[in-house]
Amino acid sequence: MGYVAKRFLQMIFVLWTVATILFFMFRLMPGTPLAAFIDNTTTAEQQDALIAQFGLDKSLGEQYFLFLWNLLQGDLGQSFFFKKPVLEVVWQVFPNSVILTLTSLIIAYLFGIVVGAYLAWKRGSWVEGVGIPLVLTTRAAPEFWLGMVLLAFFSFHLGWFPSGGANTSGSEWQSGWSRLTSADFLSHLALPAITLAIYLQGLPLLLMRSNMLNVLQEEFITMARMKGLSTWTIVMRHAARNALLPVATAFALGIGGAVGGNVVVETVFSWPGIGRLLVNAVSASDYPLAQGAFLMITFVLVVMNFIADITYHLLDPRVRVAANG
Amino acid sequence: MQLTKRGLLRTALSTAAAVALVGADARIAQAEAGDAIRPLTLISRAQAANPQQYQAAELIAQAWRQLGLEIEVQGLPRPQQSDAVWYNRDTWDLTMWQMVGRPERSDPDEFVYNLFHSTTMEKGYNFVGYVNPEYDKIAEQQRLITNKDERKVLIDQAQDIIDRDQVYAFLVHPMKVYAFDSSVWAADSMVEQPGLGIKNFWTFVGAEPVGDTKDMILNSSDELNAINPFYISGATDSWITELIWDRMMRIGSDGLPKPWAAESVEWSDDGTEVTLTLREGMMWHDGEPVTTDDVIFSFTAPAEGTNAPMYKPFVSNIAGIEATDDRTVVMTLNEPNAAFETSTLAKLNLVPEHVWAPLLENLTEGETAEAVLEESRIGSGPFKFDRWVTQQEVVLSANADHWSAPKMDRWILRIVLNVEAALGMLRSGEVNFMSDYTGDPELLLQAAEEDGDLEVVQSVDIGFQYLAFNLRRPPFDDAAFRRALSAAINRDLIQKAAWNGFAVKANSHVSPALEFWHKAGIADGLQTGMDLAKSILDEAGYEMVDGRLHYPAGGTEQFAD
Repeated sequence: MGYVAKRFLQMIFVLWTVATILFFMFRLMPGTPLAAFIDNTTTAEQQDALIAQFGLDKSLGEQYFLFLWNLLQGDLGQSFFFKKPVLEVVWQVFPNSVILTLTSLIIAYLFGIVVGAYLAWKRGSWVEGVGIPLVLTTRAAPEFWLGMVLLAFFSFHLGWFPSGGANTSGSEWQSGWSRLTSADFLSHLALPAITLAIYLQGLPLLLMRSNMLNVLQEEFITMARMKGLSTWTIVMRHAARNALLPVATAFALGIGGAVGGNVVVETVFSWPGIGRLLVNAVSASDYPLAQGAFLMITFVLVVMNFIADITYHLLDPRVRVAANG
Repeated sequence: MQLTKRGLLRTALSTAAAVALVGADARIAQAEAGDAIRPLTLISRAQAANPQQYQAAELIAQAWRQLGLEIEVQGLPRPQQSDAVWYNRDTWDLTMWQMVGRPERSDPDEFVYNLFHSTTMEKGYNFVGYVNPEYDKIAEQQRLITNKDERKVLIDQAQDIIDRDQVYAFLVHPMKVYAFDSSVWAADSMVEQPGLGIKNFWTFVGAEPVGDTKDMILNSSDELNAINPFYISGATDSWITELIWDRMMRIGSDGLPKPWAAESVEWSDDGTEVTLTLREGMMWHDGEPVTTDDVIFSFTAPAEGTNAPMYKPFVSNIAGIEATDDRTVVMTLNEPNAAFETSTLAKLNLVPEHVWAPLLENLTEGETAEAVLEESRIGSGPFKFDRWVTQQEVVLSANADHWSAPKMDRWILRIVLNVEAALGMLRSGEVNFMSDYTGDPELLLQAAEEDGDLEVVQSVDIGFQYLAFNLRRPPFDDAAFRRALSAAINRDLIQKAAWNGFAVKANSHVSPALEFWHKAGIADGLQTGMDLAKSILDEAGYEMVDGRLHYPAGGTEQFAD
């Protein structure tokens, strides 16, 4: 348990560091939250009132300690522009982001693992000759381009899917849950999830393939062949299980990374998500909201990292020995 | 002095002659030219954010390089651009900028006064730092004159002075381009308002459904930050509040204020007292009647403390307000104000006292009414607030009890960031009124042609695109220098190449969309051309040395890095 406690303390330290950097980064960046109010005939007196209202008239040090103190109590502050608690604003779109991320990650990893294992087995054949360049091409294609192509074809041309948003205009739902499980929501989810999945599938696929190639060299595979087991059994039951560990780690990290990294897909499909919220907050210098959204993302990322580490530690005796020794 | 075209011409000629003479004298006294003019940076919005503006900046830079200036175009995001230009007014030289159209800008007062009056130079709209007592006087006077024709003379003079001094290099008034699905909305029920196009209050109230679809679905490419009667965070929420909350007057489809919640608006002869008669039977969305107390509250609450800093300036001219019976309110003003109907009576939202008074009382110190917003969206307007789903949509439903009840059922605004997707939505019916289109208008026209049901409506904007000189920093303090640079700009090219023809040339802060106030012919009257630019510079004493433009003799560069 000493190891877990140590990792936990490290996690707290990382979160504090990130919070501190975020705090100063936004305040030292050019631009002021007042800029978003320019268009509204603000006078000098009104500008001062706004500054006081935002708490920006206090010294930087004072603001920083207030920020940390509130953070410890789980209070991320009030958004300058929405005039609502940051947590409330973030929470409104967080489920959308999580669902989009998880759906596309699961599609991408299932596809990647199976196809990666298959391509490793088919090493040197024409299947690999076609497959690898294809994977690399889709992996390298920019998300917005991919998104636009899918939109143009499946939505504008065939009319199978809606062109944006998370629900049909003006639709009403009994509860958040009934909304998220409705066919309407799923049809809106399809294109963005597929776009993101195509973008994400390259990593697990190539990772799986290279791990498989290593594992296939191992003696127990030769042994399995000698036992006369079927190809499928060898690839999936013996080789793939051993090659899966690093892919599982990548998956955990992928959740963290993708929660914040979907700005492009969210913008192309007008998907309400945390990435868009973040961009809007940063460009309007809404410090509390930008800090809050970034912190949420960091939190998910660090916690996922922590979980991956612990799992690894439990699953693989070699890591455990190295950590304790 | 009464300014006439001929008079102006004479003044301009004699000034030019005088300048030329001085220049000649200086050259005799000191043959050497002044310092070379420093390399200049022209700030613009980033290319991705505003391709038209950026391209115009590039075209202008190219032309000015031929005059011997070193110009670099720098694209910046809006916050950074604002930070440099608005908050650090001594630091920049040249910037592309824009003023946008709004219903209350249908009166020329806001632009005529705020943009160039010297009192707004430190923190307000006069960010270029223009100081001209003659102009100040005209800007102040035009406010006090309530006779339209007399006021028009002053507004013309204001336009002439800005033209003469070329405080801005005006470029174009862009066209507002909107589209709707004519298989959903009757084309003849769309109302075009000068300077605003078909996206306006009158269209939303009057739009007639043709078939079974009775929801108007619109799009906005901006994220929305607020819906509040005391606080406007951007263009999008300003036209949402307009629908939920009534006003005593409204800007009509002809651009002039019309009585609205007030049945009649009567002025005293000296223009300092206005009698407003409230329409009978008005109701708040929660079923309470609208009373004269509510009206008084709506005009006094913004004036108190820091309740609504954004609206405070618009009620500061009100000296007193009282109800004389249960339907009549009399306001007295500190001084007559020609724009009062537009900038106050047609601007302030009527809010229910029974909802807002307790909210305002509970405000902790320093907090403004902007902060208390949820559950307070009760108005008396033709639409009721239904809900707002962050980053997705705002839903308003028709108020069937309103005296001017909309013919549609619901008004739904979708947030669509991707302009191509918005176009796709318009074609697929996911959007049936395109209220925000930032893409190439040519593409929209093309889509309309392919579709058959889509109708595109273009109208000239009240707003304008321009290049601002920082008059605090030489050589831009010299009107001749500004005139020369402005003359070197090929506005025809910019209008065609940067705006694809979807704009009209500009040379005034009063748009041709405001037909009555705009000085006819002022854009075409501007003499331009490369040769003219060079000769103006030459006459003013600027000299070309080894391909670089130098100050007139004795001129030193104070701002070189």
